Amino acid sequence: MKFGIFYEISVPRPWENDIEHEVYHRCLEQVRVADEMGFHSVWAVEHHFLEEYSHCSAPELFLTACAMQTKQIRVGHGIVVCVPQFNHPIRAAERAAVLDILSDGRLEFGTGRSATWTELGGMDANPDETKETWDEYTRTIPQMWTNERYGYEGRAFRMPTRAVLPKPYQKPHPPMWVAVSSPGTEIDAAERGMGSLGLTFGGFAEQEEKVDRYRSRIRDCEPAGLFVNERVATVNFLYCHPDNETGIKTGSRLTGSFGYLAAQLLPVREVHPTRSYPNPGLLAATRQQAAQNPGEGVSAPEGVCIGNPDRLVEEIKKWESCGVDQINFLLNALETIPQQEVLDSLRLFGDEVMPHFVDDKPATTSEPRELAATAAAGGD
Amino acid sequence: MPINGNADPGQLTRYAPTMPNLDTEALTLPNVKVLQVIYEIDDAVMAELLPPALHPTIPPTMHVIGLRADDGPLGAFTLASVRVGCRAAVRPRGLPTRAVCTEGAAATALEERWGFPITVGEPVLRERYDRQSIEVNDGNVAVLSAQLVDPVPIGNGDLLYTAGMHVANVERDGETKPWLVQVDPDFEVSRADRGAAQIDAFDSNFWDAPELRPVYPIIASYTTANITLPKIRYICDPLQPAISGTVAL
Repeated sequence: MKFGIFYEISVPRPWENDIEHEVYHRCLEQVRVADEMGFHSVWAVEHHFLEEYSHCSAPELFLTACAMQTKQIRVGHGIVVCVPQFNHPIRAAERAAVLDILSDGRLEFGTGRSATWTELGGMDANPDETKETWDEYTRTIPQMWTNERYGYEGRAFRMPTRAVLPKPYQKPHPPMWVAVSSPGTEIDAAERGMGSLGLTFGGFAEQEEKVDRYRSRIRDCEPAGLFVNERVATVNFLYCHPDNETGIKTGSRLTGSFGYLAAQLLPVREVHPTRSYPNPGLLAATRQQAAQNPGEGVSAPEGVCIGNPDRLVEEIKKWESCGVDQINFLLNALETIPQQEVLDSLRLFGDEVMPHFVDDKPATTSEPRELAATAAAGGD
Repeated sequence: MPINGNADPGQLTRYAPTMPNLDTEALTLPNVKVLQVIYEIDDAVMAELLPPALHPTIPPTMHVIGLRADDGPLGAFTLASVRVGCRAAVRPRGLPTRAVCTEGAAATALEERWGFPITVGEPVLRERYDRQSIEVNDGNVAVLSAQLVDPVPIGNGDLLYTAGMHVANVERDGETKPWLVQVDPDFEVSRADRGAAQIDAFDSNFWDAPELRPVYPIIASYTTANITLPKIRYICDPLQPAISGTVAL
C-alpha cells in the first residue's frame, strides 16, 4: 500500500488579503512534510472556474514547485484535461516532459476529460466529444514522447511531422493513469493498460467490484503507452488525531465542507443531456459525504480515514483487502482545518499509521513491455 | 461557503399562492409535451433572485419551461414558467418566479396543491419539425419567446429534471407565512429530443425576476412524458439555510 496526498486547492471566500497566496503556500508546506514522512506522491487536479472548490487551474506549475522543494515524493497530474479547448495535446506532452525532467523522473501522468458544465461550458467545449478526444490524447501523447519525430491526422487535432521536445526523463515515459469517477471507467483504464485513479468515495463492496473488473480486463489490454501501469488508487480524506472522537469530529468538518462545495457546481448531466455523461460522477458521490451538516457530524462513514491512528489502520487494512494499491488523501477544504492541525495530522499518520503498511511495489510498477511503437493508432 | 441568496422572501411572493393545506395527493398527467430551454444568466443579480435558503448554481442558470397537456385529470392546458437554477444545500433545485397557464381550473389546481406562482394567460407551445417553441404575449408585447432549434433524438434516460422550490404562503402552527414547498415531479419519458437553445424575447419584469438576463445558451430539450406531480414531502424556511431549515412533513 502506498499513500499520496491529493490537492483540489480549495480557497474560501472572501478572496482578499492574499488568501490564494496563503493557501498555495500552506499546500507547499504540507507537501514538504509529506515528503519527509515518506508519502509516495502528491497529486494536483486541473480545474477551472470552480469557485471555492478548486483554484488549481495550473497544476503543472504547482507540481513543479512541489518537485523543487522535495526529494522523493512523486508528482502526479490528477488529471490533465484531455480536451482541445483546455490543453492542446502537444502542449500537454511538452509540459509533462519538462515536469518529468525537472523532478528527476518523478511524474505520474493522469488523464481525464472534466465532468462539469461549469468547466466545459466555460471553455466552449462540446460535452458530447470528450470521451473521443480523451481516447485520442491517450494514444498520441506516448507517441510524441517516445518517437523522435511524430505526425498525426486525427479527429481532435492534426500535426505534420515534428519533434515534440523535450522527451520525458523516465524511459520509455511516465506512468499513465485514467481518472475514474463514473462507474465503468475503470474498464476504460484497464483496456488501455493504464492505472485507475479513483476520484469518488465509495464503500468497500463497490471498490472491490471495481478492482476485480479492472484486474480481470487489464490482462488482455492493448496499452495506450509502451507499458502497462497496473495500479488502483482511490481518493479519501485524512484527518488523524490522537483522540478518535476529536479526529472524527474535525474530519467530518472537512468531508462536509468538501461535499457541500462540490454540490454547488453544475455537472454536465444536470443541464446538458448527453450519453457521454451517463452519471453525475464526482459531484454526486461527494454529495453523499455532505448529507450531514458541515461541522456537526460525529460519525465516520465506512472507509473514510478520519479518527485516531488505530481506526485509520483498521480502515486502510480493509481498503488493502479490496485490492487497492494506493490511497490519495485530501487534507483540507475551505481551510476548515487550521494549518498546524493539518501538519500534525500528517506527521501522526506518518509516524503511527504508515509503518503498518508495506510499500512493496516499485514506484513505476510494471516492467515496460516491448511493444511496437506503432501499436497505438495514428503514429507514423 | 457558497453564496446565499439575499432576496427578501416578501419580494418573491407577488405571485405566490396560498396553499389551503399540504395534504396534496399525487397526480399523473399523461403524455405531456415538455420544452425546456436552459441558459446561463447574468451573475450580477443571481443572489437577488433567491431567498437566503438557496444558493445560486455555479454558473447561475435559468430554465424556461413550456408544457402542454392535451388531456388528463386537469383537462387540456398549456403552461409556461421561468425558474432560476439553484441549490437547496446540496440538492439541485429550481425556483419558479412566475408561471402562466391557459386554463383557470388547471391553474387553480396547480397553485393550490403544488404552490405554482401562476396566473391565467395565453402561452402557446408550438411543435415544428425543425423547432419547438414557447411564446407568451402580454397584450401585444412578447414577454417570452424561447425555442429549441434543430432537434435530434436522444435517449429517454439522458435527461434530468430538477425539483422545484415553490414560494407559497402556508399555515404552520397557526401562522401563515411564505415557505419554500419542494415539488419533485416524476418524469416518465417516452420520447426525447435535444437541440440548440434560443431565447428571442424575455421580459424580466413580467416574469417577476427584475434584471434577470439570459446571456449564454446551454441547451434545450423537448420530451413527451407522463408527469406525476407529487405528494408534498418537504417544506423549507426561506430565511434559513436549507440544511437546517427544511421540515419533513
